[in-house]
Parts: sequence; structure tokens; C-alpha cells
Amino acid sequence: MSAYMMNKFMRAVEMSDDAVRAYVADPAAFVASWLDGAPGPDQRPDDRVLTEAERAAFAARDYGALYALGAHPYLLWHFTEAVYIHETSWPELNERYREAVRPHGYPDAIV
Amino acid sequence: MAELVLTAATPHNPLLWRVLTDPPPDDLRGVAANFARIRAALEAAAVDVIVVIGTDHIRQFYSDNNPAFVIGLADDYHGTFENEVRTFGLPYREVRGHRALAEAIAGRELLTGPIDFAVSHEWRLDHSFVLPLLYLTPEFDVPIVPIHVNGVLPPLPGADRYVALGEQVRDGIARWDSGARVALLTSGHMATEIGGPRQFLGGASSDPEFDAEAVGWMRDGDLAAAVAGATYERVTCAGNMTYQYVNVLAALAAVDGRPADLAEATPSRFAPSPFFLWTEP
Repeated sequence: MSAYMMNKFMRAVEMSDDAVRAYVADPAAFVASWLDGAPGPDQRPDDRVLTEAERAAFAARDYGALYALGAHPYLLWHFTEAVYIHETSWPELNERYREAVRPHGYPDAIV
Repeated sequence: MAELVLTAATPHNPLLWRVLTDPPPDDLRGVAANFARIRAALEAAAVDVIVVIGTDHIRQFYSDNNPAFVIGLADDYHGTFENEVRTFGLPYREVRGHRALAEAIAGRELLTGPIDFAVSHEWRLDHSFVLPLLYLTPEFDVPIVPIHVNGVLPPLPGADRYVALGEQVRDGIARWDSGARVALLTSGHMATEIGGPRQFLGGASSDPEFDAEAVGWMRDGDLAAAVAGATYERVTCAGNMTYQYVNVLAALAAVDGRPADLAEATPSRFAPSPFFLWTEP
């Protein structure tokens, strides 16, 4: 369930230009706001739960940690690109990303 | 009866869009030439409708409701997503659908073949569908039947299911009471990694041995070897997003395992790109 929620959060950010901007402006506040935005138990299911480690990794934009936690790699790379590309070059980000995930090999990312 | 007059497979790498200009840069000449060859073959074959087998990249379909096979029944589709416009510079496109052929393939009242298709009447197509069409039918004047095969969110269909899919598409076209000329296009990769330690290696394949073998299955028309070789472990080992290669097994099955006229992993600044083409015998 946990990797499912990480992937859900990354989609919520990366698929919307507005959400990318809001997340980059204040990652920790965006994560808190997203978690608070879940509807009640009588509504259409849209549960939002992150572990402390996942929440901390999103608050820190720590793609290496998210990779190790089992985030879906396709979603994670595009999430990373969306939330970092404004402050670095694409080749540099690609290099940093590969270095960050390499020590973790291929974690089980099946939700 | 309708006729399957052309079958092809192309890459859908969305990073091509910003750099594959006209004239193409030197390192993309082969890619441009193969897209042009397949486009010319589609035009020469006077195709009326294209069945496009691709893989949504967790845009339309997510793990809250994750079908293995989806066929589109809509009259029209919107093409690409806000994030793909931002990231890849892709243009929004409107794509016409073709319900009659979709029903001939899947069934109308009952699912008639071995594939238990989910159906969709409202589906935004991602780059897996839009990118090949931007190069092959740039006017978007040929309707399509989109088929999504889940190649990115396990559990995935095994290779034998792609064979069943290709045979069902072939049989659906043959059964369809129409004089239409139909093409089958599959969209995918050779060995490809996104989001792992081997991503974007500057034109090098993440697994050249897999690529050579996987091109050979199509060149030789060896469906049995393709099914035996395209195991989850082998394909995923070649690169974490390589499973979309397996879409082409549906193409090979649809042409009854005929050797391809064109079978190539074309070099480029990106990972080698799949180009396969079967014209009429």
C-alpha cells in the first residue's frame, strides 16, 4: 500500500503544472496539504497515507531515498525532472539521479 | 471482409520530438528514414484505419484500477497530457476513433475472443500513441483503434498473451464485414531503462545482447523463440522499462510469424529504437 501512495503522490504533483509549482515552492507544506486533502470515509475513496520516511523524503525532494523505498522508477524520474529541472541542467540532473539510485540497485517496486 | 494490409512497429520515445527536426541531425537520420519508410508504406497501402497497440505510462490508468488490456470504443480521443507537453514539448492532438472495428476485435455484446478487454469511452492517449502518429500520420486523418497493454505496473500479461492479442486483432479484422484496409501498429522500445541507474546512457543500449536477439526474432519470424525469450526476468533485466518491447510480439503473431521486411534497432543519441515492418506478402 505504501509504494502505491508514493506513486499516487508523485502523479498528483507531476501531472499538473500548478502542483509542480506549489510543491517546489514549499515541499513540506505541499505534502501536509495533500495528506489533509483526503475526503472522509463516506466519500469516493481517495485515501492519502504516507509513512514518516516517505513523508520526509518528499519534504526533502530526496529522490534517492524515494527510489530505495520502492517508488515506481518511471514515475520517480519524471517527478524528479519536474521538480528539479528549473534549478539545474538536464545532463547534470541525469548524472546526479543515476548516482543517487545506483547504490540501491533494483528495489522491489511492485505495489 | 476487411483486410490487414500492413503491420509495423515503431518507437514512441517522446524525447525525439524536440530534436528530430527536418532535416534531421546526423545521429537521427536512421530514425527519420525509418519513420519516413513506414509512413510511405502506410500511404501506399491506402490504409483506412490503424489499430495501435501501445502502453499508457501510468497517465490514464493507475493502480487504483489497472486493466491488463483496454480497447477504445470512443469516436474521438484527446492526445497527450499537460505533463507531457511540459516535459517533452509534445503538441496536443485530437485523434479519431473507430468503434466498428473495435467491436469487431473485442466483441459487442460478449467478449468473443481469448482477451478479456476492458473498454474505454473516454481516454486521453499518452505519447505511446501520439508520438508514432505524429510521424506516421501527421495530419491525424486516419482513425485509430487504440489498445493499451499494461507493460509498466505488474502483474503484466505474459508473452503468450500478446500472441493471443495479435491473433485476436488479426481475426477481428478478417471477420469485420467491411471493405476497409487496416494497418496494425505497435509502439514500444528496445532495451530501455527509465528511472534506474542505467537510464540515458547517451545512445548506448542498456543490453545490446537483448536487442540483437529481439531484432532477430522479428527478422527471422520466429514467434516461438520470441515467446520463449521474452520472459519477465529476461526482458526486465535488459532495462527496467523494456517490457514495452513485448508489444511487437502481437504484431508478429498477427502476421502469422512471417519474417519482417524491416527489422532494426536503429542507433540514435538515445537508446536504439525499434523499427519493424511487414508489408503484404
